[in-house]
Amino acid sequence: MIGAFKAVFWSFFGVRRKAEYDDDAKKLTPQAVIAAALVSTAIFVLALYGLVKLVTR
Amino acid sequence: MTAAAHAQDHAHHDDHAHHPTGIKRWLFTTNHKDIGTLYLWFSFTMFLMGGVMALLIRAELFQPGLQLVNPEFFNSLTTVHGLVMVFGAIMPAWVGFANWLIPMQIGAADMAFPRMNNWSFYLVVPAAILLVASFFVPGGAAASGWTLYPPLIIQQGISIDMTILAVHILGASSIMGSINIITTILNLRAPGMTLMKMPLFVWTWLITAYLLIAVMPVLAGAVTMLLTDRHFGTSFFNAAGGGDPTMFMHIFWFFGHPEVYIMILPAFGVVSAIIPAFARKPLFGYASMVYATASIAILSFIVWGHHMFTVGMPAAGNLFFMYATMLIAVPTGVKIFNWIATMWKGSMTFETPMLFSVGFLCLFTIGGFSGLVLAITPVDITLHNTYYVVAHFHYVLVSGALFAIFAGVYFWLPKWTGNMYNETLGKAHFWLSVIGFNIAFFPQHFLGLAGMPRRIPDYALQFAEWNMWSSVGAFIFGFSQLVFLYVVIECIRSGRKSEQLPWEGADTLEWTHLPTPAPYHTFETAPVVK
Ligand code: HEM
Ligand SMILES: [Cu+2]
Repeated sequence: MIGAFKAVFWSFFGVRRKAEYDDDAKKLTPQAVIAAALVSTAIFVLALYGLVKLVTR
Repeated sequence: MTAAAHAQDHAHHDDHAHHPTGIKRWLFTTNHKDIGTLYLWFSFTMFLMGGVMALLIRAELFQPGLQLVNPEFFNSLTTVHGLVMVFGAIMPAWVGFANWLIPMQIGAADMAFPRMNNWSFYLVVPAAILLVASFFVPGGAAASGWTLYPPLIIQQGISIDMTILAVHILGASSIMGSINIITTILNLRAPGMTLMKMPLFVWTWLITAYLLIAVMPVLAGAVTMLLTDRHFGTSFFNAAGGGDPTMFMHIFWFFGHPEVYIMILPAFGVVSAIIPAFARKPLFGYASMVYATASIAILSFIVWGHHMFTVGMPAAGNLFFMYATMLIAVPTGVKIFNWIATMWKGSMTFETPMLFSVGFLCLFTIGGFSGLVLAITPVDITLHNTYYVVAHFHYVLVSGALFAIFAGVYFWLPKWTGNMYNETLGKAHFWLSVIGFNIAFFPQHFLGLAGMPRRIPDYALQFAEWNMWSSVGAFIFGFSQLVFLYVVIECIRSGRKSEQLPWEGADTLEWTHLPTPAPYHTFETAPVVK
C-alpha cells in the first residue's frame, strides 16, 4: 500500500525512476493505485485548503 | 483441415465479400474503420462550418464599427462557433482516431460493441443539424456564448431548446462511445499486450473516456436545469425565485475544465506516437507519461474555479483554485520535457506529421504559459473576459488539439488509404497554418492586455491595428485548410502507393503487424505480443 502511495505521489509530480517503475509494475495492482490516488487527491485538497486558511488568517 | 471446417471457413469468407456497398455500407456499418472514417469526415465538415462562422466574426472585426452583421447575429456566431468546434470538430475527430486506431493498436478485431458504435456516430448527426438549423428559427441561434450562462440563456427563443437537445444527444453519444472504448481496451487486448505496453494514444483515450463518463452527465444535468427554468417554472438559476446564476457556472465548469482535457489528452497520445517515430528513439519516460496523464485527469476536477475568479468567491476560494491550477501545470510541464528529451540527440527528419508535432510542442507551450498567467487571481481579475483569454484557449485548442489532429492524419493517412500524400503540399499546409495562426492569435494577447473585451462586434479605435492583423491572419489560416482538404482527396485518388512502412521509426502494431493499407478486417486472430 505504501508503494501505491509513493507511485501516486510521483505521478502528481509527473516523473518516476525506471527501476522504481519496474518495481511498481511487479508489485502494484490497479485497484491499489486507484484507491491511493483517490485518497491522495483528498489529502491534496485538504492540504491546499489548510494552506489557504493559513495565508488568509 | 477437415472438410467441415473448410466449408465453414469458406462461408466466412463469402460473408465478407457480401458486405453492403454504397450508401447502405455507411448507414449500417459496424466496422470500426468505416465508423472512424465517418467520424473524421463529419468532424472536417463541422470544422469548415465553424470556420465559416469564425471568418464572419473576423470579417466584422476587421475594422471598428458595424459593417457586416448585426450585434445579435454576431453573438450567435461566437456562440455556435464555439459549440460547433468543441462538440462538432475536435471531439468527433478524436473519436474517429479512437475508432481507427485503438483496435489495431491493441490487436483487437473491432470495438467491443460494434452496433452501439454505429449508433454513437449517427447520434451526432441530428445534434449537428439542430445546432446549425437553430440559425434559421425566429430569434436566431443561441447568443449566450458557448458556456450557456443564465440569465441570458433563459430569455432567448426556441433555438436555446434546440441547443439543449443537441447537447443532450451529444452527451449520450459521448457516453456510449466511452463505454465502448473502455470495454475494448480493458477486454480485447491481444495476449501479451499488458496495460503498460499499450501505446500512449490508447492510454490517453482510456483516461479521456473515464473523464467523459464522469462529466457528460454533469453537463446534461446543468442543461436540464436550464430547460426546466425556461419552461417548467423552476428557479435553479433565477435569483428572484431563490436560485443562483453562479451555481450554473460552478456546475458548468465542473464539466468544462475536465472537458478541455478531454480535448487535449488524445493530442498528447498522438504526439507521443509521432515524435519518437521521427526522432527514431523510444519515447522518453513512457511510464511517467502514463502516470502524469492519470494525475492530470484527476486534478482536472479540482480547478474549475479558475474560470470564476471575478464572480465574488471568498478569498480562500480564489486562492485554493489559484494554487490548484498552478500545480496542475507541473505534470503538464513534465510531459513537454519528456517530448523534448525524446528528440534530444535523435536522428530527426521533419516530414509533415513531425512538423505539426513540433508546432504543437512550441505553440501549446505558449498556451500553457498564458494559462498560468490567467491562473493568478489578481491578474485574471483584469484579464477575464478579454481577448487574452481568447488567445489562451486558441493556443491550446488550435495549435494544441487541432495541430495534433493534423499531425495524426498525415501520419496515418498511408495506413488508412494505402497511398502517400503529397509531402510538398503537406508542408505548405503546415507553414501556411502556423503563420496564419500566429498572425491571427498572437496579437490577441496584446488586445486583451490593452483591455479589449471578448464577444463584442465593435470596439474602441485604439484596438483597430491589431484587430486588422488578427483578421488577416485568420483568413490566411482559414483558407489554408482548403489545402488540407485538397491534400487528403488527392492522396486518396492519386494511386501513389505508400510503402508498407512509410515511417521507419513507427513501431506500434498497426505498422508492424498489418499490411498497408490496413485491410477491412484486421486481427481476426489476435497477434501475440512479446
Ligand atoms: C497549464 C495549463 C492551463 C492553465 C493553467 C489554464 C488556465 C486557464 C484559466 C485560468 C482560464 C480562465 C480565464 C478566464 O476566463 O479569465 C482558462 C480558460 C480557458 N482554457 Fe485554460 N488553462 C490551461 C490549459 C488549457 C488547455 C489544455 C485547454 C484546452 C485544450 C484550455 C482551454 C481553455 C478554454 C477553452 C478556456 C476559456 C473558456 C471560456 O471562458 O470560454 N486550457 N484557462
Ligand atoms: Cu479551466
